[in-house]
Amino acid sequence: MSTTAGKVLKCKAAVAWEAGKPLVIEEVEVAPPQKMEVRVKILFTSLCHTDLYFWEAKAQDSVFPRIFGHEASGIVESVGEDVTELVPGDHVLPVFTGECRDCAHCKSEESNMCTLLRINTDRGVMINDEKSRFSINGKPIYHFVGTSTFSEYTVVHVGCLAKINPLAPMDKVCVLSCGISTGLGATLNVAKPKKGSSVAIFGLGAVGLGAAEGARLAGASRVIGVDFKNSRYEEAKKFGVTEFINPKDYTKPVQEVIAEMTDGGVDRSVECTGNIDAMISAFECVHDGWGVAVLVGVPHKDAIFKTPPINFLNERTLKGTFFGNYKPRSDLPSVVEMYMNKELEVEKFITHEVPFAEINKAFELMLKGEGLRCIIKME
Amino acid sequence: MSSTVGQVIRCKAAVSWEAGKPLVIEEVEVAPPQNMEVRVKILFTSLCHTDVYFWEAKGQTPLFPRIFGHEAGGIVESIGEGVTDLKPGDKVLPIFTGECKECRHCKSSESNMCDLLRINTDRGAMLEDGKTRFSKNGQPIHHFLGTSTFSEYTVIHVGCLAKINPEAPLDKVCVLSCGISTGLGATLNVAKPTKGSTVAIFGLGAVGLAAAEGARIAGASRIIGVDLNPSRFEEAKKFGLTEFVNPKDHNKPVQEVLVEMTDGGVDRSVECTGNVNAMISAFECVHDGWGVAVLVGVPNKDDAFKTHPINLLNERTLKGTFFGNYKPRSDIPAVVEKYMNKELEVEKFITHKVTFSEINKAFEYMLKGESLRCIISMEN
Repeated sequence: MSTTAGKVLKCKAAVAWEAGKPLVIEEVEVAPPQKMEVRVKILFTSLCHTDLYFWEAKAQDSVFPRIFGHEASGIVESVGEDVTELVPGDHVLPVFTGECRDCAHCKSEESNMCTLLRINTDRGVMINDEKSRFSINGKPIYHFVGTSTFSEYTVVHVGCLAKINPLAPMDKVCVLSCGISTGLGATLNVAKPKKGSSVAIFGLGAVGLGAAEGARLAGASRVIGVDFKNSRYEEAKKFGVTEFINPKDYTKPVQEVIAEMTDGGVDRSVECTGNIDAMISAFECVHDGWGVAVLVGVPHKDAIFKTPPINFLNERTLKGTFFGNYKPRSDLPSVVEMYMNKELEVEKFITHEVPFAEINKAFELMLKGEGLRCIIKME
Repeated sequence: MSSTVGQVIRCKAAVSWEAGKPLVIEEVEVAPPQNMEVRVKILFTSLCHTDVYFWEAKGQTPLFPRIFGHEAGGIVESIGEGVTDLKPGDKVLPIFTGECKECRHCKSSESNMCDLLRINTDRGAMLEDGKTRFSKNGQPIHHFLGTSTFSEYTVIHVGCLAKINPEAPLDKVCVLSCGISTGLGATLNVAKPTKGSTVAIFGLGAVGLAAAEGARIAGASRIIGVDLNPSRFEEAKKFGLTEFVNPKDHNKPVQEVLVEMTDGGVDRSVECTGNVNAMISAFECVHDGWGVAVLVGVPNKDDAFKTHPINLLNERTLKGTFFGNYKPRSDIPAVVEKYMNKELEVEKFITHKVTFSEINKAFEYMLKGESLRCIISMEN
């Protein structure tokens, strides 16, 4: 690999030329990494709903042409100036949000919202020079959330790369760099259910099932899944979900249904849909005195969260989380270790696999609501 | 005292016959305590805003005649059947909410909202038999919050009495049985600011100043007071307040003002007004990533708390508290000890003192906004 260091690389990338149109496999040029940057050879990547959302670009602007992708695993090909923590050959997970280790957020134990490198969905260039590292015939192709993993090679800020155990199977742990860690951390780091407690999970997609997995690991006695789709329940049982509620089956609000099932409310709830009514239900279904509700799913920007204040005064707590409150560099490697120790099960999240050339199939599966995670194999 | 055990006591009480009218000192009869009850001789009591709110009875179903009062200090006169934790002569603080020690809430380390004895503003009688222990010429007089401390003697469920250090001066620590502990606990037990952190306190009445006192004890470096009444700022300095913001002085929402003053937001905020807009400001003024806002003040029923969900997703936490999250029997004695150890300062909360016969002056001071706490001394 060292022969390519410092040089422009030509490789394949799945380019989105236009919103909502199938990606096209193109030969692109990938410039070498600049200061604090790392060029990574991507081995496996997966599709996450956030890629889809910004590719469709219905509710907001998105720059095009763009290389999407932010759940992946790879190997460091070369490093830019001032990069000391990584060397060529290191196994890494690129992360859509970063950790500079210098700002107040990185220094706080409680936050993972790095001032410099926190998620930015608008930015399509690298911070160092505000330019893209990708081009076709001199024309720039924009980055996405600083990762752009739908490419054989990509350039990522060192603060957005988690160095992981080189023995970890890359085709499995790639899914830990976004959705599953988001859900898992929401439960383990933020909701923190005690052994034997009751937990409600709203939304049984990959993030919700990641949250349920967290509840299983924490020893929850009841994990109540809430979803509009009955078909998700069977799958959810593999993730420790013990009971299932479809709000459509009831005339009363789902929080009342849950409160009745649990003698006053659940101990913890984790909301993974982004639907504002579900967020309010997730809060109002926790028990007074000690209940904690954690919001994960991102709503549309005009949504308003609304509840009678008595719900706080009777000692319910409402929290939100971002990326499961995991600091990318400091914490993600230990999530990989949880998998290596066989505590955390990852295979059950992976329902499909396609070669890079068939990447659009992954989009089709997600649009149809089929499957949880589809691995895209680069080689 | 033992000569009154098991007998009806005749004593003075300040009876509220009608909503909003001055209390009248009457001779009333106080029946002996029944199962799990305790009859207490009240030595000192103080007026809290909740007494005034239900005395005015503007918003809710009135229950009169009634004996108000729930912040007080007294001595046990006699105990009813089943009471083992207290005996005659014990010094106690009556509390408007209780701790049965058996329900899920009492057993949880996190909650103080006892299923049996939690605050009930509608109830005017004792749980045991649904009747009152107060009467005048056979006419029942209703209880308030299970305490009714505007009386020389009262009857209270044992779960609502905190047994305190016999050396503690009741004319000072009586104020710890409600408002001050509510604010103090909101900060120390719920907001939990770390040493050197920044705290915003909304509302600088007794509860807010107690929350500020908690921030002072926790070692906060900046305690920013928010109030619409600038006359409160001078007084508030005694409680550790370092800066003041009057929302009326600014065109932009107060949360934006606070965010600018603190490079992104305060570490903790404590809301002590009950005004729903202040609650929203208190939440939106804490720093993303780690900020925690604690709601204390009780709003009108119809107001809704509203915010943009992004404020939660960027890692702010919103909590509410009731009575500072203190369990009445288990935790309040330790608050008294904080005073005895000179960690907690109480005297600065006491701005006035009247005799029992002048109890209506305490109401006047509060209605005019002139006092923090007015002690009513039962013995002339």
